[in-house]
Amino acid sequence: MIRAALTDLLLVGPAALAVVLFIFLPVGVVFGLAFTDYQVGAAQAEWVGGANFAQLFGSRLGRNALLNTLTYAAIVIPGSVGLGLLVALGLHGMATRLPRLSALLRAVYFLPVAATLVAMAVSWQMLLHPSLGLANTWLQALNLPGQQWLSDRGLVLYTLAGIGIWQSTGYNMVLFLAGLAAIPSTLYDAAAVDGADRGWTRFWSVTWPMLGPTTLFVMIVTAASAFRVFETVATMTAGGPAFASDTIVYALYREGFVYFKAGYAAAITVVFFLALLALTALQMLLVERRVHYR
Amino acid sequence: MKHLILSAGLALSASAALAETELRVHYAIPTIWAETQDKLTAAFMAAHPEVTLTLDGPAEGYEDGAQRLLREHVAGTAPDVAYVGLNLWRVLEDRGVLQPLDPFLPADPQAAGYTPALLSLGRFEDTQWGLGTSASTLVMYVNPALVEQAGGSMEDFPTSFDGVIELAAKIDALSDTTEGVWIARHDWRFQSLLGSHGGRPMTEDESDITFDDAAGLAAAGLYQRFATEAGMSSMSENDARQAFPAGTLGIMFESSSLLTRFTEGAGDSFDVTVKPLPVAAEENVYFPTGGNAIVMLTEDPAKQQAAWDYIAFVTGPEGQKIIVENTGYAPANKLVLDDSAYLGSYYAENANARTAHAQVADHAGPWYAFPGAEGVAVTDLIAAALVEVTEGAEVEPTITDLAETLRLQLGMK
Repeated sequence: MIRAALTDLLLVGPAALAVVLFIFLPVGVVFGLAFTDYQVGAAQAEWVGGANFAQLFGSRLGRNALLNTLTYAAIVIPGSVGLGLLVALGLHGMATRLPRLSALLRAVYFLPVAATLVAMAVSWQMLLHPSLGLANTWLQALNLPGQQWLSDRGLVLYTLAGIGIWQSTGYNMVLFLAGLAAIPSTLYDAAAVDGADRGWTRFWSVTWPMLGPTTLFVMIVTAASAFRVFETVATMTAGGPAFASDTIVYALYREGFVYFKAGYAAAITVVFFLALLALTALQMLLVERRVHYR
Repeated sequence: MKHLILSAGLALSASAALAETELRVHYAIPTIWAETQDKLTAAFMAAHPEVTLTLDGPAEGYEDGAQRLLREHVAGTAPDVAYVGLNLWRVLEDRGVLQPLDPFLPADPQAAGYTPALLSLGRFEDTQWGLGTSASTLVMYVNPALVEQAGGSMEDFPTSFDGVIELAAKIDALSDTTEGVWIARHDWRFQSLLGSHGGRPMTEDESDITFDDAAGLAAAGLYQRFATEAGMSSMSENDARQAFPAGTLGIMFESSSLLTRFTEGAGDSFDVTVKPLPVAAEENVYFPTGGNAIVMLTEDPAKQQAAWDYIAFVTGPEGQKIIVENTGYAPANKLVLDDSAYLGSYYAENANARTAHAQVADHAGPWYAFPGAEGVAVTDLIAAALVEVTEGAEVEPTITDLAETLRLQLGMK
């Protein structure tokens, strides 16, 4: 009995210790720092209570970053989930008639996911260059005015959102394809007997409800990555011009690693951590409930 | 053979006896500096066999580097000397990481090539905390092909901002794809235009913001004039750095450190030409200087002497020659500019570099870092205000508001 307990401890111990040392402890330190005015490298720090949080939600810059992140997510989540579903439905239907082409397209759509986003950002930058880029060259060929894709304050966030959709559609497509493959064909047969044998009725009565859990999962995953948007902002716009594309994670980086304000950056981290935690909890709760018909 | 091994062994033990001091050196931006640092290390150790240098793994950029130095200082593992960004050493000084260099400076710094302008790069109040090792200032990069097309002349190139704007407007009008002029909306560029108008961002004792005076309004006003009178677009820095070598941008205000990159980028399509930044005021003109300063971190007196030997070497003529020839930065020592024995042949081949470097020797001044915890953060506010001005916001209220915001945020009120 004791031997068994010791064995368990020996097996679990090292990993548990590592988790405590390298995850729980640092997270604890970050929570503590969030209530101080600690500066990177400073010898001491003052306890400032909730001042950092007040600054995040009260200052113009803090609110701007929050609002930008929400706007970005509000475009990217429906955009990339919708497109991912559309592409998956198309490829799934095509798979029986043109299996080769379907497989090829699947690889093409998945490429942006597999590619390094930072490297892709450089390519995007060239495509979107105001005078040399392909995007504006095409617009001009159609007699439309060229755009300052990444340096127009009113446009930059939407450009980044577009790139975000491009980047995550392929991943969502793969998840939806797996979901579609898991729908038993007997259900379609049964629906056909009842008269729902094609098009919309078939989609609404069988495909969409059966994809429910997948859709929810995809939504949550996309939301988590949309709220975390950083690479494209850091490489293409650095939050600019004039903070027009400043997002929450970029603000965290900016405050902590450029401005050296570790305390404030820790406060942003805490808020962000709690938001993602809530999102994950919501997911678990909803998924538990929604799989009832399985 | 036996003899050889024996003598090798003797040589080893002899050099071990000599190599009493070991110094750790930190630097940043390996893409520009890695090769140069290796050469500097080799040259220094050849001249000072009693000192062994070790280069720390370089930091990606100056911000990363400053971060790391702060962390290492807290942990007690800081290097002995470090190359830091000229606008960032104040952060380190503020946290007590640096050692003053005054006890080591020669009695007559001018004779050693450290002019007052160059010393000002690493001086705060009455203490010398660092010495510049490489310098860059704002210059005009010009595309002569576009200037000719627009009816301008390179020999008679405008030396005033009014003239530049007039010429830029003509280049802009050439076609849909050409642009006349571009300057980044950024703290350092603004400080450069300000210095050209004889203004300063702060009072000498750093107790008040002063860029909301006539010089500051004129400097910020240039951004608006570039946009309204010469059609400057709002393209980003990255875009502009592609547009100029591609030949679609006529005049670009940029750091002199980009010369090599632009010249290579333009290739055979046109001859990138450097023109000095126009000087708008009669006196008090200075150009804030970007680049590198070397600072001392070690508190051990024995190491400090060796560290100073190293600092004196890299800021002296020999070290400066290596730095200029390998990086294209301007030297931070007057001796190498005055005595053509050092860089004469380099300048004979690089006329553009001479233009840029002469400007440094004449007008070098500090790149003001705003004091305190919000010091770096406010530079982004300056950039944001310049974006607004460029896009048509009225200059005077915008700059007055900005100065007021800075005073509050920096605790000057």
